[in-house]
Amino acid sequence: MAVATIASLAITVPPIAPHAIIEDVSEYFLAPENEQLLSLPVVEDGRPVGVVSRYQMMNVFLKRYGRELHGRKPVATLMSRTPLLIAAEQPLEDASRYVTGNMRFPITEDFIIVHDDRYVGVGVVLDLLKAMEQQLAGRSRQLAKAYSELKSSQSQLVQSEKMASLGQMVAGVAHEINTPLGYVHNNIELFVEHQRQQAAALDGYALLLRLIEAGDSSAEVLAQQLERVRQMHAELGDGAETEALLGDTLYGIGQIAELVTSLKNFSRVDRTTTDDVDINECLETTLKIAHNSLKHHVTVIRQYGDIPLVNGMPSKLNQVFLNLITNAAQAIEQQGRLLLRTYAENDYLHVVIEDSGKGIPAAVLPKIFDPFFTTKPVGQGTGLGLAISYRIIQEHGGDIRVASREGVGTRFVIRLPLPRSGAVTLAAAS
Amino acid sequence: MSKPTLLFVDDEERILRSLTPLFRADYRVLSTTDAHQALNWLREEPVHVVISDQRMPVMLGAELLRQAREIAPAAMRILLTGYSDLEAAIAAVNDGEIYRYLNKPWNTQELKHTVNQAAQIGLHLADAYRHIAAPAVRRPVNVLVIEGDADSPLSLRHIIGEQCDTECTLHWADSLDQAMEMIMHKDIGVVVTDLRVNDQDAGAAVKALKRYRPHVVTVVVTRFQDNHTLIDLINQGQIYRFLPKPVSRGLLSRSMQAALQHHRLLRASPQLAARHTVEAPAETATKRLPTQLASFINRLRGLSHASG
Repeated sequence: MAVATIASLAITVPPIAPHAIIEDVSEYFLAPENEQLLSLPVVEDGRPVGVVSRYQMMNVFLKRYGRELHGRKPVATLMSRTPLLIAAEQPLEDASRYVTGNMRFPITEDFIIVHDDRYVGVGVVLDLLKAMEQQLAGRSRQLAKAYSELKSSQSQLVQSEKMASLGQMVAGVAHEINTPLGYVHNNIELFVEHQRQQAAALDGYALLLRLIEAGDSSAEVLAQQLERVRQMHAELGDGAETEALLGDTLYGIGQIAELVTSLKNFSRVDRTTTDDVDINECLETTLKIAHNSLKHHVTVIRQYGDIPLVNGMPSKLNQVFLNLITNAAQAIEQQGRLLLRTYAENDYLHVVIEDSGKGIPAAVLPKIFDPFFTTKPVGQGTGLGLAISYRIIQEHGGDIRVASREGVGTRFVIRLPLPRSGAVTLAAAS
Repeated sequence: MSKPTLLFVDDEERILRSLTPLFRADYRVLSTTDAHQALNWLREEPVHVVISDQRMPVMLGAELLRQAREIAPAAMRILLTGYSDLEAAIAAVNDGEIYRYLNKPWNTQELKHTVNQAAQIGLHLADAYRHIAAPAVRRPVNVLVIEGDADSPLSLRHIIGEQCDTECTLHWADSLDQAMEMIMHKDIGVVVTDLRVNDQDAGAAVKALKRYRPHVVTVVVTRFQDNHTLIDLINQGQIYRFLPKPVSRGLLSRSMQAALQHHRLLRASPQLAARHTVEAPAETATKRLPTQLASFINRLRGLSHASG
């Protein structure tokens, strides 16, 4: 949108010459087309030299003999020689600032609009105020629109953060599945091959049996078949290896099944409403999901207490736990430990997630729950993970606190309100 | 002749147990979950192919293969991983200088085929490595930089030009067409290219080049990062280095030195080029080639037949 300039307010009043007679000027003021004007411009050779106002005219005519004494004098003797000049190309906003800064009160004059110092027209203060008001209204509409856009893009961001962490998690788990899938598939192929050899050996035995039963084969034929069978049997091995491979296969399928169950438990997309949640179970599920980022360098210490179920949204709480656990895994650069502790105390369920990682600098600590705050390189974190976690815990009526020391580690403590009713079911501690 | 030796390294012993019976009939199979044990074997035994997992607790696969390269340069190196992270693939090229990047779960036939191929090359070259000496004659190598936007002072042409003195002669091309002409008429030893040159995909040309001119060493410098593309460039293009943009002068300079050296080695001992035998690109990919590229590939093929 082009910026509105003061030119848009110009009223092209025919200017008066400095030598015009005051009495004639008073006639101009009475003309209907000039009714809205407080003053008339005085212009010489196209350049404004002054301004004469109704107010000044009244001063003349209201005095006794004023008209007789001054009426025939040129307007130059009466006019103000310091009119308010504003360049036509000035944006409304700048002009308004200038006018309000320089206009005398009460307002008795209009301002003169010039272009390259030459007269263009007259502007009325009230028009300027109206125009400004319109502009402001337009701005506030824009602001409101921008605000609503921002809000929707924020919810998109929250969604995309969720998708990003979900995507990361799914990728991690998918890769985790690739290893057992690799050997399970291979073992079954080996087994199929083994099965084929076994079947061939059995066929060999069957033939040998038939030859013996028929009784009409030569000793040489029998010996040949016997040797063939012996060889096939030898190639089969003693079966111990096949058994081991099948054992591995079952184990691998168990691994895959476990991962898939964790994924399902973790997301619980089917449940958007609240539910009775076993937090210890949530932590276990999340650990499985995060296994990929923990397994090589983090020792997990579980100190789960006998805790009651809490009312909440499992998938959202899991999101918080996954966020804190993966942050912890990233904070631990070499080898380290991750402590997960749960206990109930003073109407609250406490979840402690503590790592022996590099810690968060004191200067950064107050900002970690701020949206978009991230210490990760651009593109590697949305800076929303902890902000969203914070909000989720708030939605659950709880709070989340952090303590950290550089080089020692970081501790997050989540508190969730315990249900008030006496009918509290105890969750089995893992 | 005794059986060639394979060395499998994976932190999941079930993988090792599963792979061993596949190869036992034709190979001597060594396998371990311990990267240090693997390195010890490389020091003490003749190993023809090392097949390593990437994510292992003690040492990443790319690092293991980097050390393997120093200890037993003749052994062919293959990465077999269930994780497809870009960083691993980049390290596998630049540090491990791998022959193939294979994914878990693997296709048994393909795995066997690849390992057999690698073992043949490894066996064939085991002797050659005993007689290889660093090439002494330092004839300047023709370096071709293919880059669309070359005006910036940060352009590769500029940076490499500064570093090329007696070691190399710099040539450059603004488009793939121009690059193809250059390759047909100049004896180019090292190609430095982006994957996108004026919105054209240089991948297929890079792959074809390695296929028909195995002694040409390729350095890819690109902003375009996609794991599958990179894996294809390894398996089908045997690129020598993959440098993500923006690239530091130091890294580019080190990579150029290594590429020049490697090219000289391939020139001095042409049989070593077998190490970079490429996998044939998928059928569908070759069918979709633009005509001018297809004709370039035909010309390359013709020339390589004529000279070979």
